[in-house]
Amino acid sequence: MIGVAPPAYDPAAPTTADTLPVGSAATVRAYVAELLRRHRGAFLLLVTVNAVAVLASLAGPWLLGGLVERVSHGARELHLPLTVGLFALALLVQAVFVREVRLRGAMLGERMLADLREDFLVRSVRLPPGVLERAGTGDLLSRITTDIDRLANAMREAVPQLTVGVVWTALLLGGLVLTAPPLAAAVLVALPLLLAGCRWYFRRAPSAYRSEAAGYAAVAAALTETVDAGRTVEAHRLGERRIALSELRIKQWTAWERYTLWLRSVLFPVVNITHVTVLAAVLLIGGVFVLRGWLGIGQLTTGALIAQMLVDPVGLILRWYDELQVAQVSLARLVGVREIEPDAGDASLSPAGRDMHADRVHFGYREGVDVLREVSLKVAPGTRLALVGPSGAGKSTLGRLLAGIYAPRKGRVALGGAELSRMPAERVRAHVALVNQEHHVFVGSLRDNLLLARADADDAELWAALGAVDADGWARALENGLDTEVGSGGFALTPAQAQQIALARLVLADPHTLVLDEATSLLDPRAARHLERSLARVLDGRTVVAIAHRLHTAHDADVIAVVENGRISELGPHDDLVAADGTYAALWRSWHG
Amino acid sequence: MQIQDLPYPDPGVPDTRSGLRLLWWLERNQLGGQLRALAWGLLHFASVAALPFCVGLAVQAVVDRSGSRLALTGGLLALLCAGNALGDTFLHRAAVTNWVTAAARLQQLLARKAAELGSALTRRVAAGEVVTVSTGDIEKIGWCVEAVSRFTAAAVTVLLVCAALLVYQPALGMVVVVGLPVMAFAVLPLLPHATRRADVQREKAGRATELASDTVAGLRVLRGIGGEELFLDRYRRASQEVRHAAVRSARMWALIAAIQVLLPGLLLIAVVWYGIHLARTGRITVGELVTVYSSVLILAYPLRHFQEIAMAYSFSRPSAERAARVLSLKRPADSTGTRTADVPSGDLYDPATGLCAPAGRLTAVVCGDPDAAGRLAERLGGHPAEPGTSVLLGGVPLDELPLEAARTAVLVQDKDPVLLSGSLRELLDVPASGNVSAEEALAAAQCDDVLEALAQTMPAAGDPMDARITERGRSLSGGQRQRLALARSLIADPEVLVLDEPTSAVDAHTEARIAQGLRKLRSGRTTVVFTSSPLLLDRADRVVLVHEGTVAAVGSHRDLVRTEPRYRAVVTRETDEERALHDMIRADGGPRAAPAGPPDDDAALRDVVEKMEETA
Repeated sequence: MIGVAPPAYDPAAPTTADTLPVGSAATVRAYVAELLRRHRGAFLLLVTVNAVAVLASLAGPWLLGGLVERVSHGARELHLPLTVGLFALALLVQAVFVREVRLRGAMLGERMLADLREDFLVRSVRLPPGVLERAGTGDLLSRITTDIDRLANAMREAVPQLTVGVVWTALLLGGLVLTAPPLAAAVLVALPLLLAGCRWYFRRAPSAYRSEAAGYAAVAAALTETVDAGRTVEAHRLGERRIALSELRIKQWTAWERYTLWLRSVLFPVVNITHVTVLAAVLLIGGVFVLRGWLGIGQLTTGALIAQMLVDPVGLILRWYDELQVAQVSLARLVGVREIEPDAGDASLSPAGRDMHADRVHFGYREGVDVLREVSLKVAPGTRLALVGPSGAGKSTLGRLLAGIYAPRKGRVALGGAELSRMPAERVRAHVALVNQEHHVFVGSLRDNLLLARADADDAELWAALGAVDADGWARALENGLDTEVGSGGFALTPAQAQQIALARLVLADPHTLVLDEATSLLDPRAARHLERSLARVLDGRTVVAIAHRLHTAHDADVIAVVENGRISELGPHDDLVAADGTYAALWRSWHG
Repeated sequence: MQIQDLPYPDPGVPDTRSGLRLLWWLERNQLGGQLRALAWGLLHFASVAALPFCVGLAVQAVVDRSGSRLALTGGLLALLCAGNALGDTFLHRAAVTNWVTAAARLQQLLARKAAELGSALTRRVAAGEVVTVSTGDIEKIGWCVEAVSRFTAAAVTVLLVCAALLVYQPALGMVVVVGLPVMAFAVLPLLPHATRRADVQREKAGRATELASDTVAGLRVLRGIGGEELFLDRYRRASQEVRHAAVRSARMWALIAAIQVLLPGLLLIAVVWYGIHLARTGRITVGELVTVYSSVLILAYPLRHFQEIAMAYSFSRPSAERAARVLSLKRPADSTGTRTADVPSGDLYDPATGLCAPAGRLTAVVCGDPDAAGRLAERLGGHPAEPGTSVLLGGVPLDELPLEAARTAVLVQDKDPVLLSGSLRELLDVPASGNVSAEEALAAAQCDDVLEALAQTMPAAGDPMDARITERGRSLSGGQRQRLALARSLIADPEVLVLDEPTSAVDAHTEARIAQGLRKLRSGRTTVVFTSSPLLLDRADRVVLVHEGTVAAVGSHRDLVRTEPRYRAVVTRETDEERALHDMIRADGGPRAAPAGPPDDDAALRDVVEKMEETA
């Protein structure tokens, strides 16, 4: 064995940039300090019960040492019943406190873990809507699943076990110093080797384990995708390629397994040799000391037994130390979310009236590239405005500006005279709601899925809302009514039913202005028909800005704005635009035949 | 098998008759590795178990004031040190290799099974099971398979130590031999409880993670309409439940830990008590007493493997059952076919509905019921999930062709085509005729803005073909996903291309251009498009209206709009009032010429009038 170089391909390397910030070292440190402060009491308790358990475990070797000393000197009185009694008492104390150590350790770890995951979700749900729109939820999702998972082990086991290991080692060494000071020096003989070995190992191990875990996850991910895309795989005859991909992922993962195995192939002998060297040093050096008469035989026995006991705590520290290092990276990703300022907004700002007004608005996602230029638009209360135009022209962006999700770079978007981007998100959504293609049905009861729009609604109001969108028929047919579990794993709703739930939420939330972004476009057009009737009822009396894919939506609107290239190129009612014979008219002719 | 030689060129045919047989099959297939682990394990455990003899020897040497015997002990210790280090390291290497090879073999088998099952896996239960096996079960199965040799080595060592103690010091050895089984088996009855509690904890943790990711996945909805507190409370409750379950589980493990301290401790006390008596009467030496004491301390280590194998088995048993079940899944119908694998060509004809797509033409199909359209599209490709009368291509029944040949002849792009993750280049690299380049297909599917969006995700001025598509194309909008999927199907350039609603999420401007591009790129090839969009229908050579499972009308889009009310109802989405008006005019013998309508037209009219009354 001449060593293994780390594989060239690293599955843990990010493939796309993090869309959300990763916590700096200072943020992570501050968070850990806060976490420890919060759990100071539990931490101290763990250290204390652990100390008692270790001290009790030292009684055995100490008592045996005493007996050996006396027997070897041929002493007549051994106080055997007393010694055995003490031994039994110490054993009982040790057993009780070992149980306490395990339990207190778990309780502390679980508390910290629960705090951490709850803190993270609290932060996540306070993120400004603009950040979410831009960053998407993918990065956040991977943090709450993968990173929390990785941290779980660290919090649940590594922190308590490391604490236990350190306290244990320290007390054993302390015991050794007290019973036979020269023997403590014998332990030091093996220390340089252990330190050198650990230094080499821990420099390489954490990132290697991260890559190994990512590599294994990639194996499962490749298979999951093959399964998920079963139809597509079969239609395109991709079976062979998917097998080849899975085998490539296995090759990449096992390359990392091989590398980490090499790392341990260095560490294991170092640790093993250290243990035996310590024992040998204690026995031989101690033996010589006894022969010279500098040390009692009992002291030697006790010392040798304690040296033998060192195996466990040292193993514990080595076992959990790298876990903690791996966890650090995940922790940085979790606390990174704390670095995003939740935008508070000006709570005193409140719209007077329902007029929507965009005034010479400029907006771009990146520095220097404006997606919208000089856009001005007035929408009177109760008007239906349709935005049409080719993909990428800026319709959706304009819709998000009108819904107050993005703040314009230049110019202003105001509702009833109050600037939307300066209001708190909670205030904005009481007036304006954005309805997009996302018809997320949350895991939970049908009731929960509706209540989120208005927490204090009673069942009658919920049924009324379902009725308003034509959904009460199928909803009443559900076996458990509003208590039916829906969402992934629960009762499977059709896309159209999911859309109806989204609409029922709107009825409950009751904002006076709606921005519809391709709200029905992901649905089968034939199912969309029925839904549009429900939608029409919801829209009744409200101001509506609809980003239209289908021209009949535009046809029904009061005003149509054609967005091309970041500007509004045509604006007016359907008939006027058809008469004007521009872009819209051309499109309408090909549509309507 | 060494790790660096993975993956297996051929993972073999597993024995899937039961979970236990699967475990045994895996075990049998790595017999060499198991024997290696056993041999190194014996060296390691034996070296560890011999340490107490050294301790005893050393103490006795000192008691007897013998410097040479002390030096001898030192030499023995050096030997044991080497044996222990070598044994432990190579045992670990052999054990990890066994685990990795077993896991890799299972992953390979799963990948093959998933590819073989293909569309048959879309049944949700089966799909979920395959994923569970891959993400959770394989680790446990590998653990159980691997642990066998380690356990055997530990068990053999314990027996050897007992025998040695009996020979070395019969009286004290007897005490240890009687006490050991109690130590080995005392906690076993508690293990099922502990694993059960661990399972409950895992289940609750899974539920909490699910709630959290579900909340995050729907976060835009929450931030847009409210309800954050509702979902936070719910998550907090789930999170606290996990904590309680974890502490409950820890209570059991803490109890086990205490018993593991208490029992060896009691044995130690017995050894000390009895041993001192023996020492005082001179029947044993002090060194022998220390050896026995120290042995009991050290035996706890190999004894842990008794516990581990029990746990590995109880954890992996259900996993192995599930893996065996998944690996024995089969496609519902035979896919080998009875004919040779020649790819036929000619008109595509479906005897069940009467639908005919002439060779080399663009046929559009309009169908009022989306589910029926999906089923019909699936049938057009042959080998559907529900077998029936086969669709004919150039007179050859597709169901009688081998699956691979049928899929080569006809490519059916369903309503929800999945974009596989990877670079754009990899996405578009599908088995193809080679006649259509990626550039042509992307242009025809109007993917310019997709390329632009993808280029923006790349570090400075990268080739968009190298840009990464995330799983299911989630980072793209619905319309962008549809256009990329269309481009992929166009590149494949099959004899017959069947598309189900390929542009439903695309805006009208772009859709019009796609219709043009599709027509041009597929000219001379057979194409069937299920759609209700006038922009696409207008470009088709032939439009077929399928109603209630049979072809109801055939013609051009413009003719059908004029003459066929059911067609008009589906494609123009005229409001109910308008439709009723049309129908009334026709009923009144108005100016519009009444087409020869099928008999159920009156029923449709009644339906419309009822709906008008409802809404009035």
